[in-house]
Amino acid sequence: MLKLTKIISLAAVFLAPSLATAAEVNVVSWGGAYTESQKLGYGDPYAEKSGVAVNWIDYSGGLGEVKAQVESGAITWDIIDVYARDTIIGCDEGLFVEFDFDNDFPAGVNGMPASEDFFAPMPSKCAVGNILYSWNYAYNTDVYQWNAPSTIADFFDADKYKGVRSLYANAMSNLEIALVADGVAAADVYDYMEENGIDRALDKITELCEHPDGGCIFWSAGAQPPEQLVSGEATMATGWNGRHFNAIVNEGSPMKMVWDGQILDYEYFVLVKGGPNQEEAMKALQYFTSSEGLAGSAKHIAYAPFRISSLDIINADEPWFNSPTAGAVRIMPHMPTAPANTKNYILMNPEFYADNNTEINDAWEAWKANL
Amino acid sequence: MSEAIRTSDGELLSVKLKKVESRRRATAFLLVTPLLLFILIAYIFPIFQMLIRSVDNTEMNQLLSKTAIVIEKWDGKELPPEEVTSTFYYELKDLIANKKHGKIATRLNYEKGGFTSLIKKTARKLDKFDENGNFLDQFMDVHKRWADIEYWLALKRGTQAFHGRKYLTTFDYEQKFDGSIEKIPEKKRINVTLWLRTIFVAVGVTLCCFILAYPIAHLLAALPTRYANLLMICVLLPFWTSLLVRTSSWMVLLQTQGVLNDILVSIGIVADDNRLELMYNMTGTFIAMTQILLPFMVLPLYSVMKTIQPSLMRAAVSMGSTPFNAFRKIYFPLTYPGISAGSILVFVLAIGYYITPALVGGSKGVLISNRIAYHMQKSLDWGLATAMAGVLLIAVLVVYWLYNRIVGIDNMRLG
Repeated sequence: MLKLTKIISLAAVFLAPSLATAAEVNVVSWGGAYTESQKLGYGDPYAEKSGVAVNWIDYSGGLGEVKAQVESGAITWDIIDVYARDTIIGCDEGLFVEFDFDNDFPAGVNGMPASEDFFAPMPSKCAVGNILYSWNYAYNTDVYQWNAPSTIADFFDADKYKGVRSLYANAMSNLEIALVADGVAAADVYDYMEENGIDRALDKITELCEHPDGGCIFWSAGAQPPEQLVSGEATMATGWNGRHFNAIVNEGSPMKMVWDGQILDYEYFVLVKGGPNQEEAMKALQYFTSSEGLAGSAKHIAYAPFRISSLDIINADEPWFNSPTAGAVRIMPHMPTAPANTKNYILMNPEFYADNNTEINDAWEAWKANL
Repeated sequence: MSEAIRTSDGELLSVKLKKVESRRRATAFLLVTPLLLFILIAYIFPIFQMLIRSVDNTEMNQLLSKTAIVIEKWDGKELPPEEVTSTFYYELKDLIANKKHGKIATRLNYEKGGFTSLIKKTARKLDKFDENGNFLDQFMDVHKRWADIEYWLALKRGTQAFHGRKYLTTFDYEQKFDGSIEKIPEKKRINVTLWLRTIFVAVGVTLCCFILAYPIAHLLAALPTRYANLLMICVLLPFWTSLLVRTSSWMVLLQTQGVLNDILVSIGIVADDNRLELMYNMTGTFIAMTQILLPFMVLPLYSVMKTIQPSLMRAAVSMGSTPFNAFRKIYFPLTYPGISAGSILVFVLAIGYYITPALVGGSKGVLISNRIAYHMQKSLDWGLATAMAGVLLIAVLVVYWLYNRIVGIDNMRLG
């Protein structure tokens, strides 16, 4: 039986698009404005510099596909842009390459070794930092002209702010903001859930979703929240701040972001073990995560680069953001890390989700199905 | 006794006949061999291999092979004896050296939450263990969870080579650590709801398709070929369009701010602040799935209706039947083969439907296949996903078997 498996895998390898003769690297990311910023910021510059084609593939999270690729031996993905939680799970499963951080990644332009230039420790040995982004919410300014929401509690207050809310389709982010809106201190949410479970958070969200003037829809791709706000499907939506910013600045959508109760979260790259072009992919990854690479993507999206040296580059050269419609914009005040935006924030705890994955997801999915 | 009949070359006729027959059979078999092999290799074998995963836990059993043997003897009433903890310690040490401890951490986490961080924290401190000391105490010093017997019981159960617990989960049951089988807490129950919903939607969509398709098919069969062909293209055109495109088009139409609602508001049937919710619920799933699956009902019905002689109906009427009775007693029964073929096609397709409910169904229109996809893609619990897929496969086979018993598969006509 094993032999047969091998034969089939071998056949799959040959059947898989084996056009990888010319050097190319397949990078998987979240699509939309974010992938665009990565493409413009470091994908295209690297391709031009090295002559290696960089292909961008969209996905909406999860390790199922790459696990299937690795198990069948027909790997087509080289680099994936993943949540911290997934770097932990994927590294444990042996799907990704473990890095020797300071040897594998170049020092910053400020001379600091990579491990110090990246301003937070990596959640696993397979992760290299990419951006720091925020889960915050935005509302349609045409709907709330006279009474604008300003806190995370307002998001859950359907009495005062009527309208349908759009929430992330998974538990992540929703539980945290529900607890903060219900009065738990932002710094204590994960300890609270570790101790008391997630019932209180779910009750708070249920109250919002079943409110006659409220109601919930869900989004799973990052491009959805701004679309839903503009189309009127929802009047308030959680989402990734870069996507909101893109809709507001580049597309002039009638939206505004609320930073109170935002969740600060890191995003990482991983290198798939045994990918079609592992060596080329490693070189590309080194460029992507270099000081100038990371700073480059911030020209096109409001996510903070993971390197201190990249932030220095941006600070020295403001206005850094390059909007196709609004021209040059000062980007630092719109970063999730800007002082004005971090008055009340939650710091994402990937360990919590890696550890309680099964329980939380089962409870969340059951809750959603019975909504 | 009469002499046996022989052929011209002196052989017994019966033997010769058998030879010819078997040669013919061999040729026929050879002709279908490529197809048979293809189905075996590309279809049956992968399905079988996938389904094995629902009960197979040999990987864990091998990673912790020695622990699995000693922990099997432990009765599980009190915290495990030194024999178990020491074996586990040495095996964990080896796994850490080979960087494989992450794998057991994620697998054990399916058995009991919190195992991921427990194994990792333990792994970080394992080199400080005194190999002459009491291992259980040292484990408990590293993390208080090791003092909870359920983690050791989870280890015991997580290292068994085969188990059927995923099938319990499929129906919202769980095996407690004391061995009893109970329903899972009410707040976590989801699968039974989804199974019932899936069957309801599949039956409902089949009915909707039948009601819509019957008149269309009849019209197609009755019209002169010229017009029938044009109409046929209308039926088939969506069939050639990508599923994703059709589903997205429905989203454009059905949104609360979408085309359909805009029209209803502009002609004054619906108030602007009270728009119909046609999407992200069951209504959306029903509408989109019915439209998408309609051709699968129209085509078999059409092909059967085409063969029914119009003179039969005329004969019935001329003999004094009312048109309705003629339809009920003559025409309708003659279309049974088409109805059954169409229904089984639509039902089987609908029961495994996935993209459309995911896009237009919202949380209320989610079906069991979405749950399978979720476990394949997001939770990575492939064992559970394959257990569910196995149950779905069996459900379809049962429907097929029932169909064969009641209607008879020979009565099915696809054209």
